[in-house]
Amino acid sequence: MRDRPDRHECPPAIVLVFLVLAFATGCDSCKSKRNQAVVYTSVDQVFSEPIFHHCEGAAGISVRSLFDTEETKSTGVLNRLIAEAEHPQADVFWSGDPVRPFLLVDRGLVEPYRSPNAATLPRELRAQDGTWTGFAARARVLLVNNNLISEADTPRSIRDLADPRWRGRTAIANPLFGTTTMHVAALFSAWGDEEAKAFLNRLKENNIRIASSNGEVKRLVVSGEIAFGLTDTDDAHKALDDGAPVRVVYPDQSGMGSLVIPTVVVLIKGGAHPEAGRRLIDCLLTAEVESRMAKDAAHMPLRPGVSVPENVRAVGSIKAMEVDYGSIAQTMERIQPWLREWVGL
Amino acid sequence: MVLVAELLSGGAFREMRVTLGEARTWSLLMRSMGLSVAVTLGALVIGIPTGAVLGRTDVIGRRAALLVHAFPVFLPPFLLAFGWFHLFGRQGLVGSAWTSSLLFGPFGVIATLALAFAPIVTTLTALGISEIDPSLEEAARTVTRPHRTVMRILLPLAWPSIALGALVVFALTLSEIGVPMFLRVRTYPAAVFTRLGGIEYAPGEAVALVLPLLAVGLLLVFVDRRLIGRRSFAALGLRSRQIAPLPLGRARMPLSAAVWLVSLVSLLPLCALALEAGASGMSDALEWIGPSMGTSLAASAVAAVVITAMGLVIGHALARRRRAASTLDALALLAFITPSSVLGVGMVAAWNRPGTQFVYTTLIILVLGLVARYGILGVRALGAVFHRSSPHYEEAAAAFGAGFFRRMGRILLPMHARGVLAAWLIAFVFCMRDLDTVVVFYPPGLEPLPVRIFTLEANGPQHVVAALSLYHALLTAVVLTVGGLLLGLRRRRS
Repeated sequence: MRDRPDRHECPPAIVLVFLVLAFATGCDSCKSKRNQAVVYTSVDQVFSEPIFHHCEGAAGISVRSLFDTEETKSTGVLNRLIAEAEHPQADVFWSGDPVRPFLLVDRGLVEPYRSPNAATLPRELRAQDGTWTGFAARARVLLVNNNLISEADTPRSIRDLADPRWRGRTAIANPLFGTTTMHVAALFSAWGDEEAKAFLNRLKENNIRIASSNGEVKRLVVSGEIAFGLTDTDDAHKALDDGAPVRVVYPDQSGMGSLVIPTVVVLIKGGAHPEAGRRLIDCLLTAEVESRMAKDAAHMPLRPGVSVPENVRAVGSIKAMEVDYGSIAQTMERIQPWLREWVGL
Repeated sequence: MVLVAELLSGGAFREMRVTLGEARTWSLLMRSMGLSVAVTLGALVIGIPTGAVLGRTDVIGRRAALLVHAFPVFLPPFLLAFGWFHLFGRQGLVGSAWTSSLLFGPFGVIATLALAFAPIVTTLTALGISEIDPSLEEAARTVTRPHRTVMRILLPLAWPSIALGALVVFALTLSEIGVPMFLRVRTYPAAVFTRLGGIEYAPGEAVALVLPLLAVGLLLVFVDRRLIGRRSFAALGLRSRQIAPLPLGRARMPLSAAVWLVSLVSLLPLCALALEAGASGMSDALEWIGPSMGTSLAASAVAAVVITAMGLVIGHALARRRRAASTLDALALLAFITPSSVLGVGMVAAWNRPGTQFVYTTLIILVLGLVARYGILGVRALGAVFHRSSPHYEEAAAAFGAGFFRRMGRILLPMHARGVLAAWLIAFVFCMRDLDTVVVFYPPGLEPLPVRIFTLEANGPQHVVAALSLYHALLTAVVLTVGGLLLGLRRRRS
């Protein structure tokens, strides 16, 4: 006997549940949310989320945010933006580094926007065509364990990571993700492929530990499992704030300089809420936000006149590596296959 | 869908020759397979004797010990790794350089996952033993001592259930990303993850890497069908038959101490998290928790309903040997072991379209992803339940004109209410613990709690992250407790 649904039976309850869920969570296609901005960010959630709450009040918008994981820092969110390119969900991308937004610009996924609040930022931190704006920067630093390295033996250059004295006692984060990718690409740009590859291979011969993230590098140094590692200033200052026995070294101050990494904000082309997106960008580019990022996340303000907390160095006091972010972006893409092989993935 | 699209476009075939031609690809696969085998063996070493003792003997407080032992399996393994780190990391509570070097390496991954997944083997061993015809046991006990009865009669007869446990542990380990990444061990699923999360967005390459895993999955399906087969169903239903436990005599005290020790070891990471969190963490965490707990609860509850509904239909068809059921079951098993990052990219490609925004921007996308990943749990659990019941009741009802839904609603559901509730409960806790699936496509502002913990772990206050992990564990414990009480209530009524 063939089974037929009883004609008096009610439709499956699950269909009703789906409809309730759809309305309960407020889908965009159901009602308009002109004052809502959707932002994807690779800036650590612990720092960026309070900023978004601030901007909700300051800009009169509501913000829905999506954060990256530590292990896929920057690239996970970036690739979601690329995957969603046909129908963008985000209005704004706030990147923890200045290079990944170039990949979006190259793919035509960015809408130019010149925020009035960007006018006081240095020219070199703004795209001439308005596609990106940089602010609130970190620097790449060496975090050194005080108990394991004396002042006299302090490493002063990233090349010290390959020093046989520190064999098996140094670490960097996975160069396939986050700011380490940018840093490695910057080295390739500055030194050339041959020298950069030779350096990375020496790191491997020196048994460098490849941590899952900059945060993991910090943990390794703080716990004394390694003597020093390459990480970002926000991770380093978190360790200092926690009272860890560490010190921060800005590498290569007598050489090529330390890599300074501004955060960058872009407006996504085709986002559902462009007006709210612009208001969010305007808020992010205020002195108030730079001040908060300096105080809470040890990010260096790049706008003149923003006070710098005691534990944060002013960007003007650091010799910065000379870089071209667009060129680094191209190098970053080009060296990926070699880097994957180097990492072993 | 993205797998099909990539295959049809030739993307995967193009990448296959390059990606699969590299020696390191196969080296990584062998490493992952080796880790999975090691974890499975570890889970068997822990789970078989524990399951035999807890399932069949008069050990003191055996039900409580089983609950304590099994609890960690319902938590994201990453949380447990986090707890072990607070214990055995260099600056952990009992840590040193030596313990840290052990933890952050293959040994740490194997130990963490073996302890996390051993309860699966324990539970299935206990259930398998409890299914054995008591007359066989009684006959054995007239000629030999209880421990030989267990070793020579009960365990060999329970091997299909034990083998099923091994299969599940192997599959869970093979697709695990969070623990190996946290403990800095390179694995094959991580390679897939980097193809999709790395700077070079390469879904074609990721799909090419998935193909060997699919082959492994098909092998698991073959093993499941040929060697375990329908005998595993006997283990998964809920029993209402009570058998007197085997008396241990003088061995009762030492064996009770041993199983309670094994059970309490499972809780050590949670204790470490509690110490790290402290009272300040538990209150500070409330400022950071946001809507994530509600999101987790809602998405998991609805996904569990759908998984249960799937189980009712497909599981029933599987138990009654309907033609298409085996194929659907195999597909569900493959979805279970496919790396979740690939599943996630497929979800983005399939649902981020103008006409389906009401799905993609709401909790519905989470529900669909969880159902795709954990549907197999409902299918197998309810397949086992229906396998134990006679089809005659349904046939009689059909003869009187009752349709499928009426037979399901009026006969099968009331008859197997405990089994249905248990299936829902299992599906719910697995959905609650999920991280790897939903992290790729959760809607902005609707992150489930495991995702929130994972993203806050980057520079977030450690006591807050530990506290959020505990809130997750507490929520799971509450749901399991309520579910357990309801199951107990149903048993008393039946």
